[in-house]
Amino acid sequence: MSIRRSAGLVGAVALALALTGCGASSSDDGDEASGSAKTRVFTADNGKITIPADPQRVVATGYAVPALIEADAPLVGISSWQRGEPMMSDEDLATYTSLPKVAGEQAAETNYEAVAEAEPDLIVIGVPAPVLGDIDVERLESIAPVVAIGPTVPSAWRDLSRDQADAAGALEEFDARQKEYEDRAAEVAARYEDVLGGLEFGHVGAYGEVAKGTFQREFSGSWGTNIAEDIGATYYGEVKEPGPGSRSVSEYPSIEELPESLGEADVITYSVQADGSVPEAVRYVMDSPLWDNLPAVKAGKTFPIRYTEAATHGQGIQTLDAIDEAFAPLLDR
Amino acid sequence: MTAAGHAPGAERTGRGAPQAGLLVGGLVLLAVVAVLSIGVGARAVAPTEVVRALLDFQGTDDHVIVRDVRAPRALLAVAVGAALAVAGALIQTLARNPLAEPGILGVTAGAGFAITVGSALGLAVGQAGELAFAVLGSVAAALLVAAVGRRSPLRLVLTGVALTAVLSGVGLGLRLVLPDVFDAYRFWSVGSLAAREQAPLALPLTAIGLALLGALLLSRALNALALGETVAHTLGAGVARVRAVTLVLITVLTGAATAIAGPILFVGLIVPHLARRPAGGSVPWLILYTMVLGPVLLLLADIGSRVLLPTGEVPVAIVTAFLGGPMLIWAVRRYGAGSL
Repeated sequence: MSIRRSAGLVGAVALALALTGCGASSSDDGDEASGSAKTRVFTADNGKITIPADPQRVVATGYAVPALIEADAPLVGISSWQRGEPMMSDEDLATYTSLPKVAGEQAAETNYEAVAEAEPDLIVIGVPAPVLGDIDVERLESIAPVVAIGPTVPSAWRDLSRDQADAAGALEEFDARQKEYEDRAAEVAARYEDVLGGLEFGHVGAYGEVAKGTFQREFSGSWGTNIAEDIGATYYGEVKEPGPGSRSVSEYPSIEELPESLGEADVITYSVQADGSVPEAVRYVMDSPLWDNLPAVKAGKTFPIRYTEAATHGQGIQTLDAIDEAFAPLLDR
Repeated sequence: MTAAGHAPGAERTGRGAPQAGLLVGGLVLLAVVAVLSIGVGARAVAPTEVVRALLDFQGTDDHVIVRDVRAPRALLAVAVGAALAVAGALIQTLARNPLAEPGILGVTAGAGFAITVGSALGLAVGQAGELAFAVLGSVAAALLVAAVGRRSPLRLVLTGVALTAVLSGVGLGLRLVLPDVFDAYRFWSVGSLAAREQAPLALPLTAIGLALLGALLLSRALNALALGETVAHTLGAGVARVRAVTLVLITVLTGAATAIAGPILFVGLIVPHLARRPAGGSVPWLILYTMVLGPVLLLLADIGSRVLLPTGEVPVAIVTAFLGGPMLIWAVRRYGAGSL
């Protein structure tokens, strides 16, 4: 009885393996069919990868999602990217909503079956290098060529989004948006040229840990500062003990160190939510009596900045608009 | 016997004067540690400025840091330390179990579960929101445990342990499914005294003050209960009434302390052990000693949390956990469990 059952089980497994084998064969056939298309070698975080010269079916994850939606890349699947939703245009948000989600917010939530179902000819992974370990890249490579182009320091989004668009064959639209951003930055910079010169800026970020009594001080090249720098703001100082990635341009001192950290700032900017509300970590700083003692606060030169998470040129234009609006009182002095 | 109406432990041990001397010594130690706590922090403030900030406030950055950041933090350490330590002494006496600690009645788990649910609903936002949900969860858990297990100490403890397991499990499930909730919870789940100076603390601090007073008033009646239910009945103690009031006090003390600082383990377990031997089996002295030693331990741990690591502050609950284990082993080896 048990032997018969075992034999049945072996038969079922053999059948399943045979069917799986058939599936793999048809997939191979598909690769061969598209094998006649031109390819090129692309240098990414994961090495030199041979990719289609003109990809037609692209899957994007992480930071590549907003970048490739904005560049009108031929997307067939994306990861969830809720943090970017408030900064998407109506058109981009519609695209984002309609595309199949092949991964969650976290890299570890990649749905390999869903990626395979999307039948991509290129997979662009936009996660930081340390997070790449959460993804089974080999498994993805069995589906399509994989290029990993993840964020390093915050201000590098300009180059990274360009690389992502380049890999996906969407540079034309990317260049158009980049020019749009640069034109807008130049316009705002010209307006504030006379008032920003000589002023030293400091920035309070939204990622301090209130439970530990710390705040986030952001320096040049950080999320909260890099776009304001494009219009001529100068953020002074540097991280005392630099770490990797964003830790090289931001630090988390105790609230007791607020006077030492921002005491020399002529102007203080701080991150706020897309709807203008002040995040808890920033509220903690602003509610401290030490905040009221800062020279910039006494002088009334504190300005909220929305959309500090911008990582594409389209999002950056919204940040420029927000900065233009926030800095307007400087023009009256 | 000191069932009622006599000076704490004086007749039983015949050494009231040395015990009073120890208490005064403990108060002096508490004052020294409190001053040290106000003097230590991320920013170097000269001792003269520390004194001046307290006596002649000028509004400079140093003065603001001392008066508005460090002094409230030291006050919280005193209140939370006393609350947890006295709650520990009360639960160990009530349950007649040396391993009982304030969280065993499910109060801490109730607070954590309420924070989780509040975060999931988007209501436990900010320090005030978390404080409200923690208080709510503590009270609800205590009421449930008291309703089910009020008939005997053993049933009470078992109900508390069971409720803790259930709430922890359901809470963990929610946090695993909802990453944002997990993110909010993880900061709360490691007890800390940092950055509480802006939270609305008047209510929980008042509750702790009243409950500590209540514990002192109840301590003589607990002396009888500590001898066992039958003996207590014989001595004329109202067992059911004393047990009910003790439960209320434990709930208020633990709930308020947890709401203010999050879960801080070991203080409620270790301090009664440290105080039991000098208390000489007298519950009133035990309560008085724990009321002083709890703040001393938490203040020392809080100072340690600020200076131990060069990379910055660690939550005080981590320091108490590091201190608590070895100290408990030392106390048990040195004194034994002591009489309950």
